[in-house]
Amino acid sequence: MASTRRNIWELGSDWADPILWYARGVKAMKRRALDDRTSWRFYAAIHGIFPPLWQQYGYLSSIDTPPSQADRNTYWNQCQHGSWYFLPWHRGYLIAFEAVIRDAVVALGGPNDWALPYWNYFKQDALPPAFASANWPDGTGDNPLFVEQRYGPNGDGNVFVPLSEVNMNALGEPDFEGVSSGGSPGFGGVATGFAHGGRVHGAIETQPHDWVHGLVGGGLSPQEPGLMSDPDTAGLDPIFWLHHANIDRLWEVWRQNPATHVDPSKANWINGPASTGGHAFILPMPGGQSLTYTPGQMSNLATLGYNYDDLSAPPSPLVARLERLGIGVTEATAIARRTAMAKTVELLGANTESIRLSGAEARTSIALDPAARNRLSTNLNEAARTSAVPDRVFLNLENVRGISDATAFNVYINVPEGENPANHPDHLAGSVALFGVRKASAADDKHAGDGLTYVLDISGIIDRLHLSRAIEAGQIHVLLVPRNPVADEAQISIGRISVFRQSN
Amino acid sequence: MWSATRRFSGWLVVTNLAAWLLPLSWSDLTIPALCSAGLRTPLPDSFSLALVFNSPMQLAWGWLLMLAAMTPPLIAAPLRHVRERSFAHRRARAMSLFVVGYGAVWMIAGVGLQVMALAAQLASSDTLMCLALSAAAAALWQVSPAKQWCLNRCHRRPQLAAFGVPADRAAFDFGLSHGAACVGACWALMLLPLFAGQAHLLTMLAVVLFAFAERLENAAPLAWRCRGPGKALRIIAAQARMHLAPRTTGGGGQPFFAGLVTTGGPLEDC
Repeated sequence: MASTRRNIWELGSDWADPILWYARGVKAMKRRALDDRTSWRFYAAIHGIFPPLWQQYGYLSSIDTPPSQADRNTYWNQCQHGSWYFLPWHRGYLIAFEAVIRDAVVALGGPNDWALPYWNYFKQDALPPAFASANWPDGTGDNPLFVEQRYGPNGDGNVFVPLSEVNMNALGEPDFEGVSSGGSPGFGGVATGFAHGGRVHGAIETQPHDWVHGLVGGGLSPQEPGLMSDPDTAGLDPIFWLHHANIDRLWEVWRQNPATHVDPSKANWINGPASTGGHAFILPMPGGQSLTYTPGQMSNLATLGYNYDDLSAPPSPLVARLERLGIGVTEATAIARRTAMAKTVELLGANTESIRLSGAEARTSIALDPAARNRLSTNLNEAARTSAVPDRVFLNLENVRGISDATAFNVYINVPEGENPANHPDHLAGSVALFGVRKASAADDKHAGDGLTYVLDISGIIDRLHLSRAIEAGQIHVLLVPRNPVADEAQISIGRISVFRQSN
Repeated sequence: MWSATRRFSGWLVVTNLAAWLLPLSWSDLTIPALCSAGLRTPLPDSFSLALVFNSPMQLAWGWLLMLAAMTPPLIAAPLRHVRERSFAHRRARAMSLFVVGYGAVWMIAGVGLQVMALAAQLASSDTLMCLALSAAAAALWQVSPAKQWCLNRCHRRPQLAAFGVPADRAAFDFGLSHGAACVGACWALMLLPLFAGQAHLLTMLAVVLFAFAERLENAAPLAWRCRGPGKALRIIAAQARMHLAPRTTGGGGQPFFAGLVTTGGPLEDC
């Protein structure tokens, strides 16, 4: 029997039955011991665990009996980030978690078709009330959906997702798989093996996934991130699962709009990392069972036995772009539907020094290579004349390092000196939350200390600079504006900021 | 981009093949194998005599040839990084500077390794003993945290300056640091061909395959532990399993969990 995941804000009331049953299921999981594979903490550790932070927040203590080493090796620290496995791994994670909660719900006398709700912050930016209160609906305390370490975008406990800073532009990505060479990272990420934290985040992962993690979790200091801000604590927050259900929904929205959007057909993706010598995707299920799965088995919702109540898509950002360049809407729509990942990626420009992000802002300038800039200008002129697919341009924040995953900042281009960037939303290149940066900056761990690389599509901004001929100045100016001032002890640095063009 | 990648890979393969084939067609240019220098005289005299039979220039060329044969698979990934992060018109220059920096470190290391090999062989005429001792040293180094420290640095992909002299220097410095990490990871393995006598070509091949395969593993925390081409072996095993017993995929109206859920114990080898 197929179940339907619904928007939590449209279930009828703050504590509608599906929410109440979710809270009861979470409570049941939280009661289980750490070494129980279906316990709340075991499940969170599957995403990732950083024992010092767990101890600091009271989720781990010396009286806990740890799971066996074999269980820890098999199940813990599996989450896939910076990888084309990001979406399918998390889909399996949601399916298994939903099965565990449903099992608890049924045991408590609840419905056997209970389904995980999702939080569509694009429609309603506030945290669902059931998660914001320490009390159950009858006023008694111990609401398991509430967590103290959820600080919100301003670090004051008011949790919401600023609508002006989230977008669904990733849905306009023509291909699932991207490139790690400076061009589009694709809708779903770049090809990797088993990647418990890869270097380059895919488009849907950067925005809205990372950004919502960072803003909902927030942080009080570099040593006190919100649970949602750090991959090694995120699974401890009950809102995590509703956020990921929304990301999972957006994958299906992308697949259906238009139908030319398809998942990778490469064997390495279909068969998963185990087929190339990596860790298999394996999760505990109710009744002592395990779910072992591959990405190829996660593609089809009908086969998986669930669906979403809303798969409508926003307007295509590519169509809007083509119209801006002077192409009629009908032709623009046709071009958008046949557009595929462009083949050639080349460096267009870069800044000259690493940046230390500290305080309220940081600035740098990017010099453009004259020859590459001319090739870009020629292409954009011809696109308008011949209805060809225009080059895309990407800003790369390379080798971003630091120790504070709760850091989140907006990136603006060519904001006039002295002006408030918030008054120039059309100059906003993107928003970046450093979800996973602590681990990625450790020299002797899986990332080798390279940090993370973020890729932002700035084609729209470059179009405007091209049309106004401002690009001929040969420089663009980048302004980084943190959501909250960044403490120097967060040690946030950006190795290089560069611009790449991607063309056919 | 994909065709450029293929071209780039093609050049690496050609260079690599040429380095392997050259010794077979040009008898004066041989990959260093110092067994013939097993002379029994006082050590300083022995060094002098050995250098008569193996001139420094000949040793340098031989070592260079050995590097050309063994290192291309190891530098393909960092070279790709240099290429991708450089302006189109600077790519060849940046990649060349990386190779020069990388090669310089290995050439300097080669002096030390060859002196070490020469000294060992002059001290003992038992070639097998030399080979056994170098294998023991390689095995000890292989399981040490220090080896992991070096391997981790082989995985580094730093930011690179894009313009002018800083760009040249960044590519060269990356070559130096990558070369240093590579020497640290492979110095003990590289001693093996020097002691392998007539089997040095075969030993070189084994060493380069081993070194390439062990870099398929991710960077990892420092620890004493067995490490090696485990991932390569797992790839081979997984591919063999898939071809011998193709997995069934979902669909056909079957319940999803029917085929995927198992009574689960942990995966002991994960």
